Amino acid sequence: MTETPARSFVDDRPGVFRVRRGAFVEPALFERELERIFGRCWNYLCHESQLRERGRYVRGTIGRFPVFAIRGLDGEIRCFHDSCPHRGSMLTRGRSGVQPTITCRYHGWAFNADGKCIRVRNRDTGYDREALARLGTDLKPVARLAAYRGFVFACLDPEVEDLETFLGGARPFIDLMADQSEQGMEVLKGESTYVMRANWKLQTENSTDGYHVATVHRNFAHAVRQRETLTRETGDARARTEASRILDLESIRSGGYDAGNGHMINWSDRGSPESAPLNEAREALVARFGPGKARWMIDRGRTVTIFPNFFLNDVASTCIRLWRPVAVDLTEIDTWCLAPVGESAEARRARIRKYEDFFLPSSLAVPDDVRAMEVAHAGSLAAGGAGWNDLALGRATMIEGADDAARELGAAPLHSNPGRESETPFYAFWREWRRRMDGP
Amino acid sequence: MSFDAALTAEAADLLYREAGHLDRREWEAWLALYAEDAVFWAPAIVGDEGFSEDPDNDVSLIYLDRAGLEARIFRIEGGDSFASTPLPHTAHLVSNVRAVGAGGPEIEVSATWLVNSFRRTDPPILRAGRYAYTLRRSASGLTIARKTVHVLDDRIVGPIDIFNI
Repeated sequence: MTETPARSFVDDRPGVFRVRRGAFVEPALFERELERIFGRCWNYLCHESQLRERGRYVRGTIGRFPVFAIRGLDGEIRCFHDSCPHRGSMLTRGRSGVQPTITCRYHGWAFNADGKCIRVRNRDTGYDREALARLGTDLKPVARLAAYRGFVFACLDPEVEDLETFLGGARPFIDLMADQSEQGMEVLKGESTYVMRANWKLQTENSTDGYHVATVHRNFAHAVRQRETLTRETGDARARTEASRILDLESIRSGGYDAGNGHMINWSDRGSPESAPLNEAREALVARFGPGKARWMIDRGRTVTIFPNFFLNDVASTCIRLWRPVAVDLTEIDTWCLAPVGESAEARRARIRKYEDFFLPSSLAVPDDVRAMEVAHAGSLAAGGAGWNDLALGRATMIEGADDAARELGAAPLHSNPGRESETPFYAFWREWRRRMDGP
Repeated sequence: MSFDAALTAEAADLLYREAGHLDRREWEAWLALYAEDAVFWAPAIVGDEGFSEDPDNDVSLIYLDRAGLEARIFRIEGGDSFASTPLPHTAHLVSNVRAVGAGGPEIEVSATWLVNSFRRTDPPILRAGRYAYTLRRSASGLTIARKTVHVLDDRIVGPIDIFNI
């Protein structure tokens, strides 16, 4: 079978940028994505705060391959294929937990948390040394593991560029999350995995799509405003959930960036910064980082979408989301709340309530996103995926390089758009997708 | 405190009425079963076997006061939520009801639930879990002071809202 090149799905010419809908629905492309994108890219695994103790692990997937990250006996985090060197059984007992000794339940081989084999049953009576040397009894690490500001990534390709190089222009925006507390950030207890019957790239687009907010999340905004009319005034502005970025978009500043390497940024100012849980740290953040960066951290909501399937969202609340490709039309999504260590009890409570309002499959927003993406997938099947998404929205206002807001942060996007309701940040993703799919 | 058959029958009647209101989409009648200071709580999964335990420090699936419940009704009834339009038909099955009273105004009730949800455009969804209620006796009868819903699904298919758990 001849491969259809990815460039035939991305029409990128001067003045025109279009994506053929078959990019979302063609099964052959999906298989190629697993190999050329997920198989070669840095893949987000977990946050370091989820691996505090030695022997604590979390399961992950790279494309469809099972892996796990574990804090070793020496304190180092490693990532191994979740597969016994003996006969291939998965080794982890669950999604997460503490296993200082990892024992394969099938035939009883055991490994320490550093990955060293510590027991082969019948080692002396049943195996000769040559056979054991040949099969290699230690756990097989994935080729590369690295962390940036507490976010842990792994890659199957030993030749991959450094993580910092890959994150590139997105780093200043990741720092806006990582720098919120001098004591670091932590993932809170209470996780959620939900299912979307749509292609994973629809979630990548949706994560940075400012255009759907006013339509899909209008219901969220009206529901929280209606709730506030019923809520007893506590005097704590943080108890309110911000909706003005949705309902009053014309009166606030917003924008979007191509951060390079497929990463996309979308931002909008908060109509009421005093409702942000981080507002209590304003003085300390201005002192540490200056007024420009502090404004970006507190007064401005941001989504940072990292190629191909991971984002940090600090708009309604602080969220880590990872979407895993299962099939061309099926995606599993994990979500966690990330919070500054040491924030006040009031800020923590407000952060959690706002997170529950927006980021969960039981919230006032995510179910509507999931529905929107499922319907987009179903409709993209029309005419066999022959239709085109012409990503022309906002093209006229796009500028090359950084705008004033980006310069304030010291960020250097490839192109900027002064309006959140633009599709030009998507060019970042699709250019990287095409490059990797058609590359060597 | 021992099993109290008469109290259980009285509590079960309230639980069944609540389930019927939800399945028939009688939102105002449903909300009227809740006390003014009521709390509706669905903990989230923690790890493989646990649930979040402290709503002030852990994430929950749902943690709402009465105003939050009203906002949910606003969402469901408004016809503007993409995920909730059209609403699925639901059938709540509430079973294994046991009530324990300590002689005071509050009664603790445990139960098990199944909810089947059907919408023509989607595959059917079956969910299950446990209820823990605190009911309060007042002049007008029993009201719900607190409802805790443990949703057992650890891979959530379709939206979760107050009407389908």
